[in-house]
Amino acid sequence: MSAVRHNTRSPNKNTLLKVVILGDGGVGKSCLMNRFVSNQFDEHSFHTIGVEFLNKDVEIDSETYTLQIWDTAGQERFKTLRTPFYRGSDICMLTYAVDDKISFKNLQLWKNEFLYYADIKENAQFPFIVIGNKSDVTSEEREVTQLEMEMWCNENSITSCIETSAKNASNVHEAFKMAVQHWLRLENRADRNEPHIDDTVDLTKKSTANRTSCCIATGDE
Amino acid sequence: MIRPCVSECNLTNGHVTPIQAVLRRKKSLSKLNFRGIKKEELQRRTSMYLASMTIDELYCEILFEILHNVGCDISYEVGQTALFSYAQDAFKIPNDKHRYLLELAEKKEAPDRMINVEVIEAKDLRPKDSNGMSDPFVTLYLSSNMSHRYNTSVKTMTLNPVWEEHFALPITENTADENLCLEVWDFDPAESVKEKLGKIFDVKGVKGMRKLVKEIAVTATTGQHENELIGRAKIPLSTIPASGMTMWYSLDKKNKINRQGVLKVRVTFSSEKNNQVAEQEYRHLLRIVLLHELETSKVAANWWCGTFTPQGEQLLTQHIAQSGLTPAEVALCQYYVYSSIHQSHALNLTLFSNLLEKLVKPLQVGGVSDEDTKLFWDATKKLLPSCFSIIRKIRRKSVTEKAMVKQVVEVLKILNHIHSLEPPRSNIDLFPDTMYPWVTYQDDRTVPTVLNDAVAQGANDWLNHILENNNKPEESNVGKLQNMIQIIQLVRSDLQKAIEFYDKFFQEIVNFQFAKALYVFYQARICILCEPDVIEICKNLRSLQYSSYNDLTKQEGSPDPLAEGTSLFELYLALQRFATLGIGLCPADYDTFHIKNFHQWFHGGVAQWLDIAVYKALQRIEKAVELDQLVHVDSNVKYSSSAVDTLTIFYQVKVFWEQLNWPDVESCYTFIAKIIDDICRCCVFYADKMSARVEGMGDTQDDKKFEVTAEWCLAINNIDYVRETLEPFTRDLGMDGVIHKIGEMKSPVEAQRCQHTLDNVIANAIDTVRNKIIELLETVVNKMAPAMKRLLIEGAELGDQDSNSCDRLMMYVDNNLGTLHRELNEENFSRTLEVVWEMLNGTLGEIIQSNIEKRRPPAFFANLRKTLKLMTGSFKNPQNCDNDCDELRRTEQILRLNGLETAELIHEVHLELAKEFEKVKDSQLGEISIKTKFEENTLTIEVMNARNLLPMDSNGTCDAFVRIHLLPEAKFTNIEKPKTKTHNRTQFPLFDETFVLKLTPEQRELEDALILFSVKDKDLLGYNNQYIGEAYLPFKDIEDTSQSIGVMPQIHLQLARPTDKSMCLDSIKALEYRQGDKQAKEFLRKLKQRMGT
Repeated sequence: MSAVRHNTRSPNKNTLLKVVILGDGGVGKSCLMNRFVSNQFDEHSFHTIGVEFLNKDVEIDSETYTLQIWDTAGQERFKTLRTPFYRGSDICMLTYAVDDKISFKNLQLWKNEFLYYADIKENAQFPFIVIGNKSDVTSEEREVTQLEMEMWCNENSITSCIETSAKNASNVHEAFKMAVQHWLRLENRADRNEPHIDDTVDLTKKSTANRTSCCIATGDE
Repeated sequence: MIRPCVSECNLTNGHVTPIQAVLRRKKSLSKLNFRGIKKEELQRRTSMYLASMTIDELYCEILFEILHNVGCDISYEVGQTALFSYAQDAFKIPNDKHRYLLELAEKKEAPDRMINVEVIEAKDLRPKDSNGMSDPFVTLYLSSNMSHRYNTSVKTMTLNPVWEEHFALPITENTADENLCLEVWDFDPAESVKEKLGKIFDVKGVKGMRKLVKEIAVTATTGQHENELIGRAKIPLSTIPASGMTMWYSLDKKNKINRQGVLKVRVTFSSEKNNQVAEQEYRHLLRIVLLHELETSKVAANWWCGTFTPQGEQLLTQHIAQSGLTPAEVALCQYYVYSSIHQSHALNLTLFSNLLEKLVKPLQVGGVSDEDTKLFWDATKKLLPSCFSIIRKIRRKSVTEKAMVKQVVEVLKILNHIHSLEPPRSNIDLFPDTMYPWVTYQDDRTVPTVLNDAVAQGANDWLNHILENNNKPEESNVGKLQNMIQIIQLVRSDLQKAIEFYDKFFQEIVNFQFAKALYVFYQARICILCEPDVIEICKNLRSLQYSSYNDLTKQEGSPDPLAEGTSLFELYLALQRFATLGIGLCPADYDTFHIKNFHQWFHGGVAQWLDIAVYKALQRIEKAVELDQLVHVDSNVKYSSSAVDTLTIFYQVKVFWEQLNWPDVESCYTFIAKIIDDICRCCVFYADKMSARVEGMGDTQDDKKFEVTAEWCLAINNIDYVRETLEPFTRDLGMDGVIHKIGEMKSPVEAQRCQHTLDNVIANAIDTVRNKIIELLETVVNKMAPAMKRLLIEGAELGDQDSNSCDRLMMYVDNNLGTLHRELNEENFSRTLEVVWEMLNGTLGEIIQSNIEKRRPPAFFANLRKTLKLMTGSFKNPQNCDNDCDELRRTEQILRLNGLETAELIHEVHLELAKEFEKVKDSQLGEISIKTKFEENTLTIEVMNARNLLPMDSNGTCDAFVRIHLLPEAKFTNIEKPKTKTHNRTQFPLFDETFVLKLTPEQRELEDALILFSVKDKDLLGYNNQYIGEAYLPFKDIEDTSQSIGVMPQIHLQLARPTDKSMCLDSIKALEYRQGDKQAKEFLRKLKQRMGT
């Protein structure tokens, strides 16, 4: 896909967004990325070695955004290998698996690690998006409910969360779109130079954004 | 041992006791008690004597020996006096006592000295027998006593006999004129010999055999048989040195000039002394002489290597000669004495290694008495600590490298000799705890194990020493790290010294891998020293605090993470070099060393290093841009210094990466990805800085025109140049190798994925930088925009009246593009063009929009269009326009429309509507069928029928008629608009009416003339006809023929109406802006009607 992009870019530049996908090993980060970028699902994917990287153009409100998606390895032993990539990120996707309570609990750690290494000052403003992957599992297997996720997000002032399934492709595109929109919102806010930074959802903005902005739960629909 | 003895002697001022006198000489013993004393008794007395020997006695003995010197080398008279005084000095004997003892010595009877002769071999003897051989034997005697002859055995049938037989000939005092005579005879086996040979069978034992041979020889020499003399040699005893000699003598014969052959003999002096006594005397003498000499000559430590003054040498040699000590015995005594003196005054170790060389053989073959063996090991025990001390203090600064190597070599030789002797374990503890407190081996203390320990201990002591010296009370991590680096460097240089100077000898002489042993020791220590600190420091590394790549200002207050990271990396490199040394030194064992995984300690630090690398790179880039003079590096290239500098900076990153040489492949892969990403950031950063640098250049104050400058172009070229090197650079990082390794380690699929990721990262990086270039180009073009806009408007306002302004625009654009073309490479130039056009388009659009709103006259737009056309014609490459050309076309179209007079514009509306209506199919409004033809200038139209007309009336039908308009209306004012009759209440009216219209040739030739058929519903009153639909037919679709209209094909036209969409047509929009224009207003009103609203 890189070949396609070579030399064909029109003089109109796309906005490049660096997206980092974080989460415990095995929650399906790579699958999510592959599903999003090439619409493939590999049941027996490998452990990611250090990092993986893919590009994908998305169009939102007739604007094209190029997402540079950095998929990092979740295993602890790769910690030093992934942290250098945090800096300069525009969007951070915190990922867990709905059938793995521990991966959900670890979101806090991931968020902290990210904030530490990405050198972000106003953390409330950073576009985090929480993704509960593997929403295709049966209700018996499920260990994390949507309510729990939403509560956690509220506690952490994260306004975007979504359940996805890389396996059956549900909500994957929505998740990435949502991430970009979230970023856009914050970007606009920053552009307008609003002095107050609040933890609550800005209602005026909500109307302009023309989309549901909080915890849309479409995974089971 | 001798010291208390000396003092004791001095105190007692001892006289020689009878028993001592008796014991002193073996001769005396034998004389007085021959066969009378039991061996045990003798032993006992010897020990007693040995135990009670005094210095005076020894002195007396030495004086006695001086009086009876033997050998040629003491024949001069002065010698004796000198020797007396030397001995007196050495023994520290007062004059009166000396005189007394000298008297004693003089009174003693002369010693029975012997001359020992070894007949070794002869060569090239004259043949005496018929068979060309001889049967030689040797007869030897002293000239003063010719009757006492000694014969060797007979060697049959040879001219090169080997005897190796020993003889001891007693000599009288008067040796001055004495000669030793040697005669070689050919034995003649005469009759008598035959008889005697017969006796051989009766002979028993060796003695008997010897006798027989002797008898034969005696018979031979007495001349009773015809033994023949081969030759003789005469050796004056005065020519023989006291230490003895071995010589080849040529054999002469009376009246014969020819040489008769050569004979090799060894001649030494000896006396029949008690060996043990002689040895002890010699040891004491040696000790006294050596101490004396060391004292008088003030020889430096480690310097003395066995050379005495002639007097001292003489004393010792005489003693050896007169006591008959064998070389081995002498060596042993020396070894013993030297070892003991060595403890207090270091002697040159060469001495010992040489002595050991002499001693090893006798000791090995068991030719040394138990007593002496014990002495040897005692001496060794004394010697060894100093040897090991040298090994331990191999790093001593006070000695030069060369001298130290010499010492070590000698030590190693000594150790090797000693080790070859297998020290007795039972009766001697060679390595007692008291002397070797540092030895770790408890049971198995052998030379090699202790050596190993000594090496380790030496290293240990040294390391502790430098640790103490370097252990500044440093609290900061940087201090700690620097400390470690320094220590590792010291250790490494120590190892290198070991390799360079010592290892070879250790291996050659004692087969000990010195450097390796050191390495094993050091690596363990270094691991202990560094590992915990490094891990701790890595764990607590604070990431670099700088808010963005554009803002390099460091945050205040925190300790400098840069210095810390740099020091950490230095330590890494130091350890890496140290580890490399280990691989070279111990290839087999390296894998078992803890140091092998040293890089893992640093795992947490690598990310920091990468960050630092970027940070530094960014700083340098900033500086490079700052320093850039913005001139071409040379005439061949189109970039300036900062581009080259930036590449150098990238190269430094690469060097860093190469230095890092991270062994773990998976990590390598990620790090590479990170580095590529970082380099990309550097590129972008460079682009930012570069454009900031040239920002403001080219802005001309007076004219308010922006001029593209060479600097701008350089900036763009620079960035592009940097971009171009990105890909080769990343390849240089060794990406492929890493991918390959992943493939081997994991699987090809994973390697492919990794490859894919890296490719993506690179592509992205290149893309991002390209974006940056485009951004820059946009900046340039945007700067040009105001000027161009102004010129465009000027051109439009003034139109043809002043074509100057257009020229000025052209000149401006041409100028700038010229600069760009000259300075930029092709790719960037074409990019520039694209951007210029994009901008121009935008500008035009703005101008048009604002001026339409201002209701500018059509002439304004017409002029603008001319200007645009001029520009397009002059520099737009037609091949180059694909998508943006559509834009251009549209802009031009808008300009064209707005530039039209209203009537023309209205016709434009018709044309566009006609075009739009052509697409209509299955119209809801119905259709009409017509026939048309031209003949000359006559247009014939037959309106045949209409079908499926949309019902307009409440009864579901219509009352339709068709009106024909010829357009543009203004051109056909002379022609009446024909109209059909109205057909009531039908959706399918059959008109069948033919209209013949005479046109002027001009009208006929009109390019885009149209026929408009309007189908209307007749209102009862005729005032408010309802519009059903319409259809256009262009003149050009009408056949020019002389055939009758009847045979012409029917044309079915779908009826249509202008729609809301039609209202968006540019032409209608343009009309809408002409609010003040009646014609336009009227047309639009009618158009609204036609829409059916």
